[in-house]
Amino acid sequence: MLYKKRLFQGAALAVISALTLTACGGGTGRSSSAVSNNTKANTSTSSGTSSTTNTSNSADTSTTTTTNSSTPIRLLNGKVEIDEQLQQYASNYEKKTGQKVIIESVGGGVDITATIKNYNAAGNMPDIFVTTPGDLSQFRDLYYDLSNEPWVQDTEAEMLDSEGRVVGAPYAVEGIGLVYNADILAKADINPDTLVNINEQRAAFEKLDAMKDELGLQSVISVAAESGQMYWSTGNHIFSAYLTMGVDVSDKTLLNDLLGGNMDAERLGHLADYFKLLCSYADPTVLLSGTYDDQLALFAQGKAAFITQGNWIDPSLPTYGATFDCGILPYAMFEEDTSGVTADAPSWWAVFKDGKNVPASIAFLNDILMSDEGRKMFVEDAGAISAFKSSKYAPSTPVSANLFKRMQAGPTYAWDWSFLPASISQNSLAPVFELYAKDEITRDQFVSMIMTSVTDYVAENQ
Amino acid sequence: MIKARWGKPFSVILIILSALCIITTLVIDAAGMTLSYRGHALIAGIVGLAAGFYFLPVSEARHIKIINVLFLIPMVGTFAVTVIIPFLMGIFYSTTDWDGIKFENFVGFENYINMFKEPDYLYSFGITFLFTVVNMALVNFFAFALALLCTSNSKVTGFCRAAFFIPNLIGGIVLGYVWQFIFNKVFILAAPPSMLTNANLALVAILIVSTWQYSGYIMMIYITGLQTIPKDVIEASGIDGASWWRQLFKIKIPMIANTFTVCTFLTLVNSFKQFDLNIALTNGAPQRVIDGRAVYATEFLALNIYKTAITKHDYAIAQTKAILFFVILAVISITQVVISKRNEVEI
Repeated sequence: MLYKKRLFQGAALAVISALTLTACGGGTGRSSSAVSNNTKANTSTSSGTSSTTNTSNSADTSTTTTTNSSTPIRLLNGKVEIDEQLQQYASNYEKKTGQKVIIESVGGGVDITATIKNYNAAGNMPDIFVTTPGDLSQFRDLYYDLSNEPWVQDTEAEMLDSEGRVVGAPYAVEGIGLVYNADILAKADINPDTLVNINEQRAAFEKLDAMKDELGLQSVISVAAESGQMYWSTGNHIFSAYLTMGVDVSDKTLLNDLLGGNMDAERLGHLADYFKLLCSYADPTVLLSGTYDDQLALFAQGKAAFITQGNWIDPSLPTYGATFDCGILPYAMFEEDTSGVTADAPSWWAVFKDGKNVPASIAFLNDILMSDEGRKMFVEDAGAISAFKSSKYAPSTPVSANLFKRMQAGPTYAWDWSFLPASISQNSLAPVFELYAKDEITRDQFVSMIMTSVTDYVAENQ
Repeated sequence: MIKARWGKPFSVILIILSALCIITTLVIDAAGMTLSYRGHALIAGIVGLAAGFYFLPVSEARHIKIINVLFLIPMVGTFAVTVIIPFLMGIFYSTTDWDGIKFENFVGFENYINMFKEPDYLYSFGITFLFTVVNMALVNFFAFALALLCTSNSKVTGFCRAAFFIPNLIGGIVLGYVWQFIFNKVFILAAPPSMLTNANLALVAILIVSTWQYSGYIMMIYITGLQTIPKDVIEASGIDGASWWRQLFKIKIPMIANTFTVCTFLTLVNSFKQFDLNIALTNGAPQRVIDGRAVYATEFLALNIYKTAITKHDYAIAQTKAILFFVILAVISITQVVISKRNEVEI
């Protein structure tokens, strides 16, 4: 009797312990694998050549959307603007190949490096993830070597690591600058092509400011300089003028000097003057407390003639019912002409080296970058500009079309901020821009504060 | 009968095998090998170990003791895995140069010294203490006032209690964004520019929202306290001619002194830990110039720790800050327990 009773008790105890410890066992296993990531043997050495056949082999295996294939591929997309287009492409890809692709989009001020880091710590890394050169020092052990993929020969915008391996695939080229409402400029009889130096731009702003009521403008320019959410707009985009405005694409002197702890005070002074010029014609509410939506709404509703953004606003313009034609100008901070546009790959897609599904991920990546449908999707549906020389699609959306035209006319300036240490915009640059926009610091303070905070940050993070 | 003859060697062998099984799996895991069944083997080992001790033929008294210990294992195991081990790992990481992915060097106590050299951390410390003190006072004042209102003899007290309590049910992140809208789009119509763009007023804005959110919750505790006051005491004092104010200060407040202690510490700890509202409402902005540097003006300690880890990628320093954060909160909580105990004895 006693023995039976004990046996029953024992069984109950065993079940309870097993149930509790199953959860624990999973937890410990996962955390330790995240910590020992770099010591683990990497078994995924099969190259992309075998995987490209994967697509055609399984092309006719399934036409339904049931998940008959292996694990789905997860793609972490950093451009929430093109989420819908990617979802559509992924579902078509699944119909075509049977391989399920999950698109996870983050954006709108989310710190993507931090998101990826959290995914990695949790053992939940996506197979394909968005990355920038600023991540290189931290993520170098996570990247799969893409040097032998077919698209490498077809682009100049691939992302290289310090050893010259290709670790990131460019999926689009984007332009940043002063986007203008061509209809308003036409009404004010201003030729946008002449606005390529600070004096011309200042004169145009003055003229538009005087005609505000006539043109139905709330302000001339839509700028947002709040540091909590809009740090990327000032700290990356506008600051890029310091790094590259008027500089040849291959000339990286300013970038390398900055990374070495030296900055050009005179050039920063020009940036300060130009930023102040933008601020003085900006809507004060949007400037100091506006979000991206506020900034965009002002421009898209025709209440501002300019906006300090880039061609990624194209897909959002129709949601505001905007019908006007657009174009893009450089942040012309000098008295000399800078007639080019700032355009570069904004971010890259990398493949997670230790992913469960490396060959299938590369197959999908090659498909979306190389196939006709993929290129068409990027250019015609997502309003992007192809990063590949052999792409035959020209963008049709207003800002991109104008940017593409100006890129072909040349010159093009790079935007080298992605080579700066990660999150420098949020921690060092945007705070100073905000203070200057609020007139809480002088021009000289702007220059000296940018110099000290950037040099300190670079020294800490290298 | 079987038990008597085979019980002992069976149990002992089971214990030894299970122990070996556990040790092997732990070694495998520590060595970084990823055998997929190591988790199952670990669980089997622990269950086997428990069974071995359970079937050990010993006296009934000892057996009961063993069972007591065995029944503790699920709880202790869960607690260890979710609290104790991460905490120890945190202390360990605070002595390294961990960047969130890997660490290369042990730096000893350097992080504990270096974190005080960051002006933004010192600023966060100051602003958090300021916020904590003011918020504690405001929340308790409004909560007690609301509690007095909601215990008065009115027909709408039930509705009022629910209305004041509801903000507490909405998460801080949601509240933060809702109030951001209110400050940036509604209040701005009356008095531009937005409060959130001024370093001092942004702190006031957080105080307003925090008080609005938390007063209802603390109010409920005060109501419970006020309801424990015997009615006859109040009535007797009323007959003796005591005014409402006299009743409040001489009877009600002294009689619920304990509730005040509880509420004070509750708001103290909660204000000090303020994070969700902070990140959603201001995310640290706007900026303040201190000593020629731009500093996030409303970045409280919890947000500072988060940002050190997440945006500056300095996980080791963030971990070190988190440990100091823990120590401060532990001291506050222990003080609370001691004071509450003392009061209990007095009553």
